[in-house]
Amino acid sequence: MSTTVKSSPAIALQQVPNAKGRGKEKGGRRLAALFLAPTIIGITIFTLVPIVASLTLAFFRWDIISTPEFVGVDNFVSIGADPTIRRAFLNTIGFVAVAVSLQLTVSIGLAVLIQSKMPSWLRTFFRSAFFFPLVLSAASVSIIMSYLFNQNFGLVNQIIGLVGIPAVPWLTSQAGAMVVIILVYVWQNFGFTFLLIIGGLSSIPVEMYEASSIDGATGWKQFKNITLPLLSPTLLVASVMAIISALQIFDQPYVITRGGPGDSTRTAVMVIYETAFKQLDFGRAFAIGIVLTLLIMLVTAVQFRLSRRFVHYN
Amino acid sequence: MTTLTENESTAARGRGTTPAPSRKGRVSGRTAGRAAILVVATFVTLGPVVWTVLTSMRPPTESLGAGGSIFSGGLDFSSYTDVFQQVNMWLLIWNSALVTGIIAAGQMFTAALAGYVFARIDFKGRGLLFSLVLATMMVPVQVTIVPVFMLIRGMGLSDTLLALILPAIPTAFGTFLMRQFFMGLPGELAEAAAIDGASPFRTFRSVYLPLAWPGLAIVGILAFNFHWNEFFRPLIMTISEENFTMPLGLVSLQGNMGTGSVATVLAGVVLSMIPALVVFLFGQRYLREGLTAGINK
Amino acid sequence: MSDVSRRLALSLLGVGAVGAVGASWPRLTGADIPGRGSESLNVAILGNAQDAASRVNLVKAFSAANPNIKVRIQAIQGADWGDFFAKILTMVAAGTSPDVVLVATEGAQLFAERLAEPLDAFVQRDQQEIQDYFDDVHPSLIEAFMYQGSLFQLPMDFNSANMYMNTGAFEKAGLARPGDHWTHDDFYNSLTAMKKTGGKQFVPYYWTNRLFGGVVPWLYVNDTSFLKETRSTGGSWFWDKFYANDPTRGMRSGGYQWLEPNAEDPRVAESFEFLRTLVAEGLGTSPAQGGGNELVAQFASGLIGTTPAGGYWVEGLHEAGMAEDAFDVQFFPKWRTQRHQFGAAGYAIMKTSTRKDEAWEWIKFCATKEAMELAMPLPTTTPTRRSMVNEALYAGKGPAHWKVFYDTLDEFPSSGPIPAPPQQAAVESALIKNVLGAVTGSAANIKPAMSTLQRDLELALRRN
Repeated sequence: MSTTVKSSPAIALQQVPNAKGRGKEKGGRRLAALFLAPTIIGITIFTLVPIVASLTLAFFRWDIISTPEFVGVDNFVSIGADPTIRRAFLNTIGFVAVAVSLQLTVSIGLAVLIQSKMPSWLRTFFRSAFFFPLVLSAASVSIIMSYLFNQNFGLVNQIIGLVGIPAVPWLTSQAGAMVVIILVYVWQNFGFTFLLIIGGLSSIPVEMYEASSIDGATGWKQFKNITLPLLSPTLLVASVMAIISALQIFDQPYVITRGGPGDSTRTAVMVIYETAFKQLDFGRAFAIGIVLTLLIMLVTAVQFRLSRRFVHYN
Repeated sequence: MTTLTENESTAARGRGTTPAPSRKGRVSGRTAGRAAILVVATFVTLGPVVWTVLTSMRPPTESLGAGGSIFSGGLDFSSYTDVFQQVNMWLLIWNSALVTGIIAAGQMFTAALAGYVFARIDFKGRGLLFSLVLATMMVPVQVTIVPVFMLIRGMGLSDTLLALILPAIPTAFGTFLMRQFFMGLPGELAEAAAIDGASPFRTFRSVYLPLAWPGLAIVGILAFNFHWNEFFRPLIMTISEENFTMPLGLVSLQGNMGTGSVATVLAGVVLSMIPALVVFLFGQRYLREGLTAGINK
Repeated sequence: MSDVSRRLALSLLGVGAVGAVGASWPRLTGADIPGRGSESLNVAILGNAQDAASRVNLVKAFSAANPNIKVRIQAIQGADWGDFFAKILTMVAAGTSPDVVLVATEGAQLFAERLAEPLDAFVQRDQQEIQDYFDDVHPSLIEAFMYQGSLFQLPMDFNSANMYMNTGAFEKAGLARPGDHWTHDDFYNSLTAMKKTGGKQFVPYYWTNRLFGGVVPWLYVNDTSFLKETRSTGGSWFWDKFYANDPTRGMRSGGYQWLEPNAEDPRVAESFEFLRTLVAEGLGTSPAQGGGNELVAQFASGLIGTTPAGGYWVEGLHEAGMAEDAFDVQFFPKWRTQRHQFGAAGYAIMKTSTRKDEAWEWIKFCATKEAMELAMPLPTTTPTRRSMVNEALYAGKGPAHWKVFYDTLDEFPSSGPIPAPPQQAAVESALIKNVLGAVTGSAANIKPAMSTLQRDLELALRRN
């Protein structure tokens, strides 16, 4: 769940402010200041000030123990020239595209299936099973998965070996390693998206389906004409959250592949970590971090732009 | 916009069951297909967990890849005693519980207050301030951790549990969730309270806060789950073993150069997931209903 | 839930939270950690609480000998030495720098360059007391901790990349224990024979993609390395004083230097081609990065024919249930040379320490035989003191030819440390990320892979 939880700036921006009964109370201002203080002061101290500090230090060369040395835009220039960093950003973008699509598809599919007629205990069982992986930490999941995907002794290859498929070099081939990272990530995180979508589905009035059944629409047609459009606000929220957290992927490749083979599973956040804590080049690490933050903001903004065309509100 | 109570009740009824199509043959065929997909999906999601639990109960000497079936060799709990020998499990649990408990309570507190203001009290620049709060969620923790580390050092809190707790208490996501919740509550309540002569604080405490309980539960559960499993911040912020939280202890079990026993590591994983699992199972209903009520509006 | 019970629950929660914070304040601020903030000598080691606890007797003995110095062992956790060094650095940044740090070859030059205090003055001053240590320790191990003519650490333990063998698999394939000077061709033939008799899941040669083990031993025996290895001048003050009569005195220098990449040396490609053949013919695994966690379990369950490792493995295999005669160890196979790779570790004094004299007392004490026996009661690593690598240490655990561990240094005195310049982290990642592509691709792919490696190493060495 790790990063999934902390996201979705977005939704707020589309909300129509509740016009009733606010701001009229006497002393409301004082209350507002008092109530906001812990959050605003906290965020200022522990997020905004650090961001400004990082932004400044990105123009320095600094190994955390000596005095920083001003280097101008060198750190930013060197990012573009470094093949490893370029590869890491490309990996991240590719990963996000595939993982988030998969995550949404699986979640929608399972959420729709679980609405079929079945005893309610069974529904509860399936639902719990699907978001069970959320309670595990990404670190322990990664430990488990690196055993399961071991080429020579892992359970996955033993199972596919039963049907005669030769052992797949999951973690020792470039494509295989990325596939594992994607699968492990989606396995752990789809539960949250699934949860959101279940909620979205339950707010679609049954009458809509009944009406369309009378018109002779079934299965796929209903899904396309009713479910998807009415689900689109939820899907927007779910995809914004999924993308923001997927862009920050770190734990899985850090534990399972250490970014390899080659640079095939190195991600943007991994490069930030390695540049800072392994190569002791903190200024450069901050510069990479700023580029990544801008990328996240850009992607989110683009999503909202696009959403105007695809998202239906009624 | 619907009110919270409506949402709660609709969700609780668990509806959305699409009416079954009329032709019988196709129905059973499709039903079987659906059932198959659900069963496979359950197998895939729970399989690795079951494997972990079973492997952790195998004798360490044949814990992995020995070819034998998981069920051969009988149950063996020596890996669990090994876990307690190798790391100070009780201290890890206590540290994790303290850190996650205080963070969860702190987030519930700050988010309730800030979320209420953003939802119900108008002032100049409110929209801008709220956007700013939300935008901080887009900054990766790796970007801010070093300056935070320096701040903590300045406060004299290096290598303490407070270094993990304090920066995590202000919560943008929790504030957002609580704002959604308060916005879902009818404004008429405030008007009625005002007529009764209630002060703004009293309106909050006696009218709105009691209704926001499901939202607070979600903020608390999500915070608990997230911070219970958190790895990166504790890795950087704590140094002494006495200050480790659970995920760091697990990595300890792997041993230097990976010489730790697989079964022991997995036993540690199993132990570590129990508390989060308990919280999650108990809070599942709140999560499902509350989260959807809060967001799908 | 009714309003009342809800409110009650909320206030209970609030009271509970405040109570928890109050009651556990010492825990939250770390004030309850024994020795914290007190006037003691802080010694940082890589490991967990168990490792720290295993040094209790060592600390007791030290306190008995030096009643005025209080020592606190701080176990720092890390999956590898890289994590550990990053952590020490953050401690320095946090202003809680330890006084003494246990540093391995991987970080020796990083510490020497930035963080550590030379021991030169101390060893010269206390030659009388410390000579006994040098008499018992092979000079190759000391030279690994010389940097630009100064000595920075006294190594306590080491491990060479020897070859572990599954005796059962060898017997099954009709193979006798290989001779001391077996060649890489002999090695290849043994693997081929084992593959025929080994069964489906069996792997004749298992290796991991790391700086220790991995490709480096194969480069060393082929008389090359992926970095150009030179020696710095200086250091004769030390060798003349402490190793004057050593037969290898003439080889010794002021320390290793790795200043240039050397990946395009044809012999590097030759070694890679050998490994590529092993992988292509199914004799060797394609080495996973990071992994290696399950290696002990797999070797112990007989699924692996051979793997490179050092003395640190004995206890692990014993605990995993492997009988003492089920495995054995031999020198790494010979190619152009039979030069081995080793890693070692010892205590370094931090430049920032205000207790350098006390720190030196600790180091000096730890180098005594009494202390080393307390610190290393089990074969979880190989002691640097020759006299301690004896029958008793390996009794009941194996391997039969435990003498190989120390003989490696005597037989092949040119054996060298893990190549680790001050930019070790960047260099290691440059090497490791290019290994797999080279050994799993086609033969034609090796040359371009080496060019990429060369380029990445150049970038890595240019850092700092």
